[in-house]
Amino acid sequence: MQQLEYLCPKTLDECLRALQQAGGSALPYAGGTDVMIHLRERTERMRRIRLLVDLAALPELRGITLEGDRVHLGAMTTHSEAAASPLLLAHAPFLCAAAATVGSTQIRNAGTIGGNVCNGSPAADTASPLVALSAQARVCSASGERFVPVEALYSRNAGMALAPGELVLEFVFDSFSAWRTSFLKLGRRKALAISRMNVAAALRTEDGRITAARISPGCVFRTPDRVRAAEDRLVGQIPSKELFAEAGRLSSAEMIQRTGVRWSTEYKQPVLEALVERALLRAAGIDTEA
Amino acid sequence: MASLDFTVNGERVLLDVPANARLLDILRDNLGLTGTKEGCGVGECGACTVIVNGKAVCSCITLAAGLNGAEVTTIEGLSKNGELDIIQQAILDHHALQCGFCTPGIVMSAKALLDANPHPTTQQIKEAIAGNLCRCTGYQQVIDAVADAARRRAEQECK
Repeated sequence: MQQLEYLCPKTLDECLRALQQAGGSALPYAGGTDVMIHLRERTERMRRIRLLVDLAALPELRGITLEGDRVHLGAMTTHSEAAASPLLLAHAPFLCAAAATVGSTQIRNAGTIGGNVCNGSPAADTASPLVALSAQARVCSASGERFVPVEALYSRNAGMALAPGELVLEFVFDSFSAWRTSFLKLGRRKALAISRMNVAAALRTEDGRITAARISPGCVFRTPDRVRAAEDRLVGQIPSKELFAEAGRLSSAEMIQRTGVRWSTEYKQPVLEALVERALLRAAGIDTEA
Repeated sequence: MASLDFTVNGERVLLDVPANARLLDILRDNLGLTGTKEGCGVGECGACTVIVNGKAVCSCITLAAGLNGAEVTTIEGLSKNGELDIIQQAILDHHALQCGFCTPGIVMSAKALLDANPHPTTQQIKEAIAGNLCRCTGYQQVIDAVADAARRRAEQECK
Protein backbone atom coordinates (compact mmCIF):
# COMPACT_ATOMS: atom_id res chain seq x y z
CA MET A 1 0.00 0.00 0.00
CA GLN A 2 1.42 3.32 -1.03
CA GLN A 3 1.86 6.00 1.62
CA LEU A 4 -0.08 9.02 0.53
CA GLU A 5 -0.03 12.43 2.16
CA TYR A 6 -2.64 15.14 1.92
CA LEU A 7 -1.97 18.86 1.90
CA CYS A 8 -4.46 21.70 1.61
CA PRO A 9 -2.34 24.85 1.15
CA LYS A 10 -3.93 28.14 2.19
CA THR A 11 -1.83 30.33 -0.12
CA LEU A 12 -0.66 29.99 -3.71
CA ASP A 13 2.93 30.43 -2.55
CA GLU A 14 2.66 27.50 -0.17
CA CYS A 15 1.01 25.42 -2.88
CA LEU A 16 3.62 26.13 -5.58
CA ARG A 17 6.48 25.50 -3.16
CA ALA A 18 4.96 22.16 -2.13
CA LEU A 19 4.49 21.16 -5.77
CA GLN A 20 8.06 22.13 -6.60
CA GLN A 21 9.52 20.30 -3.62
CA ALA A 22 7.64 17.09 -4.32
CA GLY A 23 8.28 17.25 -8.09
CA GLY A 24 6.72 14.37 -9.99
CA SER A 25 5.42 12.70 -6.83
CA ALA A 26 2.82 15.43 -6.19
CA LEU A 27 -0.59 15.58 -7.80
CA PRO A 28 -2.79 18.70 -7.76
CA TYR A 29 -6.29 17.75 -6.60
CA ALA A 30 -9.27 19.67 -7.99
CA GLY A 31 -12.75 18.11 -8.13
CA GLY A 32 -11.54 14.53 -7.80
CA THR A 33 -13.97 13.03 -10.30
CA ASP A 34 -11.09 11.47 -12.25
CA VAL A 35 -8.30 11.41 -9.66
CA MET A 36 -10.34 9.51 -7.05
CA ILE A 37 -10.99 6.73 -9.56
CA HIS A 38 -7.35 6.57 -10.67
CA LEU A 39 -6.21 6.51 -7.03
CA ARG A 40 -8.38 3.52 -6.24
CA GLU A 41 -7.49 1.63 -9.36
CA ARG A 42 -3.83 2.47 -8.68
CA THR A 43 -3.33 3.18 -12.34
CA GLU A 44 0.14 3.59 -13.76
CA ARG A 45 0.12 7.38 -13.42
CA MET A 46 -0.79 7.14 -9.72
CA ARG A 47 2.01 4.78 -8.69
CA ARG A 48 4.56 7.52 -8.19
CA ILE A 49 2.13 9.88 -6.43
CA ARG A 50 2.95 10.45 -2.75
CA LEU A 51 1.28 13.80 -2.15
CA LEU A 52 -2.18 15.11 -2.97
CA VAL A 53 -2.20 18.91 -3.08
CA ASP A 54 -5.80 20.07 -2.64
CA LEU A 55 -6.46 23.31 -4.56
CA ALA A 56 -9.78 24.03 -2.83
CA ALA A 57 -8.58 26.87 -0.57
CA LEU A 58 -6.76 28.98 -3.17
CA PRO A 59 -8.65 32.17 -4.13
CA GLU A 60 -6.43 32.66 -7.21
CA LEU A 61 -8.09 29.63 -8.85
CA ARG A 62 -11.65 30.80 -8.21
CA GLY A 63 -14.10 33.12 -9.86
CA ILE A 64 -15.20 34.27 -13.29
CA THR A 65 -14.44 37.92 -14.01
CA LEU A 66 -14.30 40.35 -16.90
CA GLU A 67 -11.24 42.62 -17.00
CA GLY A 68 -11.55 45.05 -19.87
CA ASP A 69 -12.57 42.82 -22.77
CA ARG A 70 -10.88 39.70 -21.36
CA VAL A 71 -12.64 36.95 -19.46
CA HIS A 72 -10.75 35.31 -16.58
CA LEU A 73 -12.05 31.86 -15.70
CA GLY A 74 -10.59 30.31 -12.54
CA ALA A 75 -9.36 26.74 -13.03
CA MET A 76 -11.33 25.57 -9.95
CA THR A 77 -14.65 26.74 -11.42
CA THR A 78 -16.97 23.74 -11.36
CA HIS A 79 -18.94 22.71 -14.42
CA SER A 80 -22.15 23.64 -12.57
CA GLU A 81 -20.80 27.12 -11.81
CA ALA A 82 -19.64 27.61 -15.41
CA ALA A 83 -22.93 26.38 -16.88
CA ALA A 84 -24.92 28.83 -14.74
CA SER A 85 -22.61 31.85 -14.92
CA PRO A 86 -24.39 34.92 -16.37
CA LEU A 87 -20.99 36.39 -17.24
CA LEU A 88 -19.94 33.33 -19.24
CA LEU A 89 -23.38 33.14 -20.82
CA ALA A 90 -22.89 36.68 -22.13
CA HIS A 91 -19.27 36.28 -23.26
CA ALA A 92 -18.81 32.61 -24.20
CA PRO A 93 -22.22 30.86 -24.28
CA PHE A 94 -20.90 27.71 -25.98
CA LEU A 95 -18.57 27.16 -23.02
CA CYS A 96 -21.64 27.13 -20.72
CA ALA A 97 -23.32 24.68 -23.09
CA ALA A 98 -20.26 22.41 -23.06
CA ALA A 99 -19.99 22.52 -19.25
CA ALA A 100 -23.69 21.65 -18.98
CA THR A 101 -23.19 18.42 -20.97
CA VAL A 102 -20.43 17.02 -18.75
CA GLY A 103 -21.43 13.96 -16.70
CA SER A 104 -24.38 14.30 -14.32
CA THR A 105 -25.42 16.94 -11.79
CA GLN A 106 -23.25 15.20 -9.18
CA ILE A 107 -20.21 15.21 -11.50
CA ARG A 108 -20.76 18.83 -12.60
CA ASN A 109 -21.01 19.91 -8.94
CA ALA A 110 -17.57 18.45 -8.20
CA GLY A 111 -15.58 18.42 -11.44
CA THR A 112 -13.78 21.60 -12.50
CA ILE A 113 -12.90 23.19 -15.85
CA GLY A 114 -9.21 23.12 -14.91
CA GLY A 115 -9.45 19.43 -14.07
CA ASN A 116 -11.39 18.69 -17.25
CA VAL A 117 -8.55 20.18 -19.31
CA CYS A 118 -5.58 19.05 -17.18
CA ASN A 119 -6.74 15.45 -17.04
CA GLY A 120 -5.43 15.43 -20.60
CA SER A 121 -8.28 13.61 -22.32
CA PRO A 122 -8.98 14.64 -25.94
CA ALA A 123 -12.66 13.96 -25.08
CA ALA A 124 -12.76 16.83 -22.56
CA ASP A 125 -15.96 18.68 -23.43
CA THR A 126 -14.82 22.11 -22.28
CA ALA A 127 -11.54 21.94 -24.23
CA SER A 128 -13.33 22.38 -27.58
CA PRO A 129 -14.89 25.78 -26.78
CA LEU A 130 -11.73 26.89 -24.92
CA VAL A 131 -9.67 26.15 -28.04
CA ALA A 132 -12.27 27.88 -30.24
CA LEU A 133 -11.97 30.92 -27.94
CA SER A 134 -8.15 30.90 -28.36
CA ALA A 135 -8.04 30.70 -24.57
CA GLN A 136 -4.69 30.97 -22.86
CA ALA A 137 -3.92 29.03 -19.70
CA ARG A 138 -2.07 31.00 -17.04
CA VAL A 139 0.47 28.48 -15.78
CA CYS A 140 2.37 29.17 -12.55
CA SER A 141 5.21 27.46 -10.75
CA ALA A 142 7.50 28.44 -7.89
CA SER A 143 9.93 29.82 -10.48
CA GLY A 144 7.54 31.93 -12.55
CA GLU A 145 4.54 32.25 -14.76
CA ARG A 146 3.78 31.63 -18.44
CA PHE A 147 0.75 31.78 -20.72
CA VAL A 148 0.06 28.72 -22.86
CA PRO A 149 -2.64 28.35 -25.54
CA VAL A 150 -5.02 25.61 -24.34
CA GLU A 151 -4.29 23.43 -27.39
CA ALA A 152 -0.58 23.60 -26.55
CA LEU A 153 -1.26 22.24 -23.04
CA TYR A 154 -1.87 18.86 -24.62
CA SER A 155 1.25 16.91 -25.36
CA ARG A 156 1.43 14.98 -28.64
CA ASN A 157 2.21 11.72 -26.83
CA ALA A 158 -0.77 11.83 -24.46
CA GLY A 159 -0.71 13.64 -21.14
CA MET A 160 -0.09 17.29 -20.50
CA ALA A 161 2.72 19.56 -21.65
CA LEU A 162 3.19 20.78 -18.09
CA ALA A 163 6.36 20.35 -16.06
CA PRO A 164 6.21 18.91 -12.51
CA GLY A 165 5.49 21.82 -10.20
CA GLU A 166 3.44 23.72 -12.78
CA LEU A 167 -0.18 24.57 -12.10
CA VAL A 168 -2.92 26.06 -14.30
CA LEU A 169 -4.44 28.96 -12.35
CA GLU A 170 -6.97 30.25 -14.84
CA PHE A 171 -8.02 30.48 -18.46
CA VAL A 172 -8.03 33.90 -20.13
CA PHE A 173 -9.79 34.72 -23.38
CA ASP A 174 -11.35 37.61 -25.30
CA SER A 175 -15.06 38.17 -24.90
CA PHE A 176 -17.02 36.50 -27.69
CA SER A 177 -20.11 38.61 -27.02
CA ALA A 178 -20.01 39.90 -30.62
CA TRP A 179 -19.92 36.31 -31.95
CA ARG A 180 -22.64 33.70 -32.23
CA THR A 181 -21.57 30.36 -30.85
CA SER A 182 -22.79 26.80 -30.53
CA PHE A 183 -21.73 23.49 -29.01
CA LEU A 184 -22.95 20.08 -30.13
CA LYS A 185 -22.08 16.77 -28.53
CA LEU A 186 -22.69 13.25 -29.63
CA GLY A 187 -22.69 10.72 -26.78
CA ARG A 188 -24.00 7.19 -26.45
CA ARG A 189 -26.91 8.55 -24.48
CA LYS A 190 -28.11 11.95 -23.38
CA ALA A 191 -26.91 11.97 -19.79
CA LEU A 192 -23.57 11.01 -18.32
CA ALA A 193 -21.94 10.10 -21.60
CA ILE A 194 -18.35 10.77 -22.51
CA SER A 195 -18.24 12.52 -25.87
CA ARG A 196 -17.88 10.30 -28.88
CA MET A 197 -17.44 13.54 -30.70
CA ASN A 198 -18.24 17.20 -30.13
CA VAL A 199 -17.97 20.45 -32.05
CA ALA A 200 -17.65 24.02 -30.79
CA ALA A 201 -18.38 26.62 -33.45
CA ALA A 202 -18.37 30.43 -33.51
CA LEU A 203 -19.22 32.92 -36.23
CA ARG A 204 -18.88 36.66 -36.58
CA THR A 205 -20.89 38.36 -39.28
CA GLU A 206 -21.12 41.85 -40.70
CA ASP A 207 -23.76 42.93 -43.24
CA GLY A 208 -24.79 39.30 -43.70
CA ARG A 209 -21.28 38.05 -44.46
CA ILE A 210 -19.05 35.96 -42.24
CA THR A 211 -16.02 37.96 -41.10
CA ALA A 212 -14.50 35.35 -38.78
CA ALA A 213 -15.13 31.70 -37.93
CA ARG A 214 -13.96 29.14 -35.39
CA ILE A 215 -14.47 25.40 -35.73
CA SER A 216 -13.08 23.26 -32.93
CA PRO A 217 -13.99 19.57 -32.90
CA GLY A 218 -13.34 17.26 -29.93
CA CYS A 219 -12.33 13.56 -30.06
CA VAL A 220 -11.32 14.08 -33.69
CA PHE A 221 -7.63 14.94 -33.66
CA ARG A 222 -5.05 13.49 -31.31
CA THR A 223 -5.37 16.65 -29.23
CA PRO A 224 -8.01 19.42 -29.30
CA ASP A 225 -7.45 21.81 -32.20
CA ARG A 226 -9.18 24.12 -34.69
CA VAL A 227 -9.82 23.32 -38.35
CA ARG A 228 -8.35 26.41 -39.96
CA ALA A 229 -8.90 25.23 -43.56
CA ALA A 230 -12.64 25.04 -42.92
CA GLU A 231 -12.66 28.34 -40.99
CA ASP A 232 -10.87 30.15 -43.83
CA ARG A 233 -13.39 28.81 -46.37
CA LEU A 234 -16.21 30.56 -44.48
CA VAL A 235 -14.71 34.05 -44.29
CA GLY A 236 -16.30 36.53 -46.71
CA GLN A 237 -19.20 34.17 -47.49
CA ILE A 238 -22.93 34.42 -46.82
CA PRO A 239 -24.09 31.72 -44.34
CA SER A 240 -25.91 28.85 -46.04
CA LYS A 241 -26.53 25.14 -45.57
CA GLU A 242 -24.35 24.37 -48.62
CA LEU A 243 -21.47 26.47 -47.35
CA PHE A 244 -21.57 24.80 -43.93
CA ALA A 245 -21.79 21.35 -45.51
CA GLU A 246 -18.60 22.18 -47.34
CA ALA A 247 -16.97 23.24 -44.07
CA GLY A 248 -17.99 19.82 -42.74
CA ARG A 249 -16.30 18.09 -45.67
CA LEU A 250 -13.15 20.20 -45.24
CA SER A 251 -13.12 19.23 -41.55
CA SER A 252 -13.34 15.51 -42.26
CA ALA A 253 -10.67 15.83 -44.95
CA GLU A 254 -8.43 17.46 -42.35
CA MET A 255 -9.17 14.65 -39.88
CA ILE A 256 -8.17 12.02 -42.44
CA GLN A 257 -5.10 13.96 -43.46
CA ARG A 258 -3.93 14.21 -39.84
CA THR A 259 -4.89 10.85 -38.39
CA GLY A 260 -5.00 8.67 -41.51
CA VAL A 261 -7.80 6.27 -42.43
CA ARG A 262 -8.60 4.15 -39.39
CA TRP A 263 -11.15 1.48 -38.56
CA SER A 264 -13.38 4.21 -37.14
CA THR A 265 -13.13 6.55 -40.15
CA GLU A 266 -16.17 5.11 -41.89
CA TYR A 267 -18.20 6.17 -38.84
CA LYS A 268 -16.41 9.35 -37.90
CA GLN A 269 -16.27 10.98 -41.33
CA PRO A 270 -20.04 11.40 -41.91
CA VAL A 271 -20.65 12.13 -38.21
CA LEU A 272 -18.05 14.90 -38.10
CA GLU A 273 -19.37 16.39 -41.34
CA ALA A 274 -22.92 16.43 -39.98
CA LEU A 275 -21.89 17.83 -36.58
CA VAL A 276 -19.81 20.65 -38.09
CA GLU A 277 -22.60 21.56 -40.49
CA ARG A 278 -25.24 21.55 -37.73
CA ALA A 279 -23.05 23.44 -35.27
CA LEU A 280 -22.46 26.17 -37.85
CA LEU A 281 -26.17 26.29 -38.80
CA ARG A 282 -27.05 26.68 -35.15
CA ALA A 283 -24.43 29.38 -34.62
CA ALA A 284 -25.75 31.22 -37.69
CA GLY A 285 -29.30 30.91 -36.38
CA ILE A 286 -30.46 29.00 -39.46
CA ASP A 287 -33.30 26.60 -38.72
CA THR A 288 -31.82 23.11 -39.00
CA GLU A 289 -35.24 21.49 -39.35
CA ALA A 290 -36.18 23.50 -42.45
CA MET B 1 -3.43 10.48 7.60
CA ALA B 2 -5.30 13.76 7.60
CA SER B 3 -7.42 15.31 10.33
CA LEU B 4 -11.03 15.95 9.47
CA ASP B 5 -13.45 18.28 11.25
CA PHE B 6 -16.83 18.47 9.58
CA THR B 7 -20.58 18.26 10.15
CA VAL B 8 -22.68 15.22 9.28
CA ASN B 9 -26.47 15.53 9.55
CA GLY B 10 -26.06 18.49 11.86
CA GLU B 11 -23.54 16.87 14.22
CA ARG B 12 -19.91 17.83 14.39
CA VAL B 13 -17.54 14.97 13.62
CA LEU B 14 -13.79 14.85 14.35
CA LEU B 15 -11.77 12.06 12.76
CA ASP B 16 -8.34 11.12 11.48
CA VAL B 17 -8.74 9.68 7.99
CA PRO B 18 -6.33 8.16 5.46
CA ALA B 19 -5.28 10.75 2.86
CA ASN B 20 -7.03 8.85 0.07
CA ALA B 21 -10.19 7.88 2.03
CA ARG B 22 -13.50 8.29 0.24
CA LEU B 23 -16.37 10.07 1.96
CA LEU B 24 -18.49 6.98 1.23
CA ASP B 25 -16.26 4.73 3.34
CA ILE B 26 -16.05 7.24 6.20
CA LEU B 27 -19.86 7.47 6.29
CA ARG B 28 -20.45 3.73 6.14
CA ASP B 29 -17.50 2.27 8.03
CA ASN B 30 -16.54 4.96 10.55
CA LEU B 31 -19.91 6.55 11.21
CA GLY B 32 -22.16 3.55 10.61
CA LEU B 33 -24.35 5.49 8.18
CA THR B 34 -25.04 2.60 5.83
CA GLY B 35 -28.04 4.23 4.14
CA THR B 36 -25.60 5.62 1.58
CA LYS B 37 -24.93 2.81 -0.91
CA GLU B 38 -21.97 1.93 -3.07
CA GLY B 39 -22.96 0.97 -6.58
CA CYS B 40 -20.43 1.50 -9.34
CA GLY B 41 -17.70 3.18 -7.29
CA VAL B 42 -16.76 5.45 -10.19
CA GLY B 43 -19.35 8.23 -10.00
CA GLU B 44 -21.71 6.94 -12.67
CA CYS B 45 -24.65 5.34 -10.86
CA GLY B 46 -25.44 7.88 -8.13
CA ALA B 47 -26.33 5.31 -5.43
CA CYS B 48 -23.81 7.00 -3.12
CA THR B 49 -25.21 10.53 -3.61
CA VAL B 50 -25.05 12.77 -0.54
CA ILE B 51 -25.35 16.53 -0.15
CA VAL B 52 -22.16 18.49 0.58
CA ASN B 53 -22.63 22.21 1.26
CA GLY B 54 -25.98 22.15 -0.51
CA LYS B 55 -24.80 20.32 -3.63
CA ALA B 56 -25.45 16.71 -4.61
CA VAL B 57 -22.18 14.81 -5.09
CA CYS B 58 -21.11 11.20 -5.44
CA SER B 59 -19.53 10.25 -2.10
CA CYS B 60 -17.57 7.44 -3.82
CA ILE B 61 -15.40 10.00 -5.61
CA THR B 62 -15.32 12.64 -2.87
CA LEU B 63 -12.07 12.89 -0.94
CA ALA B 64 -12.88 12.83 2.79
CA ALA B 65 -9.72 14.74 3.70
CA GLY B 66 -10.93 17.71 1.66
CA LEU B 67 -14.11 18.19 3.67
CA ASN B 68 -12.85 20.26 6.60
CA GLY B 69 -15.61 22.68 7.56
CA ALA B 70 -18.10 21.06 5.18
CA GLU B 71 -21.72 20.28 5.96
CA VAL B 72 -22.71 16.81 4.80
CA THR B 73 -26.28 15.51 4.70
CA THR B 74 -26.97 11.81 4.16
CA ILE B 75 -30.27 9.95 3.81
CA GLU B 76 -30.22 9.41 7.60
CA GLY B 77 -30.40 13.17 8.08
CA LEU B 78 -33.80 13.53 6.43
CA SER B 79 -36.41 11.98 8.70
CA LYS B 80 -37.26 14.02 11.78
CA ASN B 81 -38.73 12.63 15.02
CA GLY B 82 -39.52 9.31 13.37
CA GLU B 83 -41.38 10.98 10.51
CA LEU B 84 -40.26 10.55 6.94
CA ASP B 85 -39.22 13.55 4.90
CA ILE B 86 -41.77 14.70 2.30
CA ILE B 87 -39.61 13.34 -0.53
CA GLN B 88 -39.28 9.93 1.13
CA GLN B 89 -43.05 9.74 1.68
CA ALA B 90 -43.73 10.75 -1.93
CA ILE B 91 -41.39 8.01 -3.18
CA LEU B 92 -43.37 5.49 -1.12
CA ASP B 93 -46.76 6.84 -2.21
CA HIS B 94 -45.82 6.69 -5.90
CA HIS B 95 -44.30 3.20 -5.65
CA ALA B 96 -41.09 4.70 -7.02
CA LEU B 97 -38.88 1.83 -5.89
CA GLN B 98 -38.56 -1.91 -6.06
CA CYS B 99 -35.28 -3.17 -4.62
CA GLY B 100 -34.55 0.24 -3.12
CA PHE B 101 -30.78 0.21 -3.57
CA CYS B 102 -30.76 3.37 -5.70
CA THR B 103 -33.43 5.11 -3.61
CA PRO B 104 -31.28 6.89 -0.99
CA GLY B 105 -29.23 8.43 -3.80
CA ILE B 106 -32.34 9.46 -5.72
CA VAL B 107 -33.86 11.04 -2.61
CA MET B 108 -30.67 13.04 -1.98
CA SER B 109 -30.55 14.25 -5.61
CA ALA B 110 -34.22 15.25 -5.34
CA LYS B 111 -33.62 17.04 -2.04
CA ALA B 112 -30.68 19.02 -3.46
CA LEU B 113 -32.89 19.99 -6.42
CA LEU B 114 -35.93 21.05 -4.35
CA ASP B 115 -33.83 22.92 -1.78
CA ALA B 116 -32.31 25.02 -4.59
CA ASN B 117 -35.33 25.10 -6.90
CA PRO B 118 -38.66 24.54 -5.09
CA HIS B 119 -40.72 24.55 -8.32
CA PRO B 120 -38.77 22.52 -10.89
CA THR B 121 -40.07 21.69 -14.37
CA THR B 122 -40.29 18.05 -15.43
CA GLN B 123 -37.16 18.59 -17.50
CA GLN B 124 -35.29 19.96 -14.47
CA ILE B 125 -36.37 16.94 -12.41
CA LYS B 126 -35.13 14.61 -15.15
CA GLU B 127 -31.80 16.42 -15.28
CA ALA B 128 -31.43 16.33 -11.50
CA ILE B 129 -31.84 12.54 -11.37
CA ALA B 130 -30.01 11.77 -14.64
CA GLY B 131 -27.00 10.74 -12.55
CA ASN B 132 -29.02 8.18 -10.56
CA LEU B 133 -29.43 4.83 -12.23
CA CYS B 134 -32.36 2.57 -11.33
CA ARG B 135 -32.42 -0.92 -12.84
CA CYS B 136 -35.83 -2.01 -11.49
CA THR B 137 -38.67 0.45 -11.60
CA GLY B 138 -37.71 2.92 -14.26
CA TYR B 139 -37.96 6.63 -13.80
CA GLN B 140 -41.54 7.75 -14.43
CA GLN B 141 -42.71 7.02 -10.89
CA VAL B 142 -39.62 8.76 -9.53
CA ILE B 143 -40.30 11.86 -11.63
CA ASP B 144 -43.96 11.85 -10.50
CA ALA B 145 -42.87 11.46 -6.88
CA VAL B 146 -40.43 14.36 -7.02
CA ALA B 147 -43.00 16.60 -8.71
CA ASP B 148 -45.52 15.61 -6.04
CA ALA B 149 -42.98 16.24 -3.28
CA ALA B 150 -42.46 19.75 -4.68
CA ARG B 151 -46.22 20.36 -4.49
CA ARG B 152 -46.45 18.97 -0.93
CA ARG B 153 -43.54 21.11 0.18
CA ALA B 154 -45.22 24.21 -1.24
CA GLU B 155 -48.48 23.32 0.52
CA GLN B 156 -46.70 22.79 3.79
CA GLU B 157 -45.09 26.19 3.53
CA CYS B 158 -48.47 27.84 2.98
CA LYS B 159 -49.83 26.32 6.20
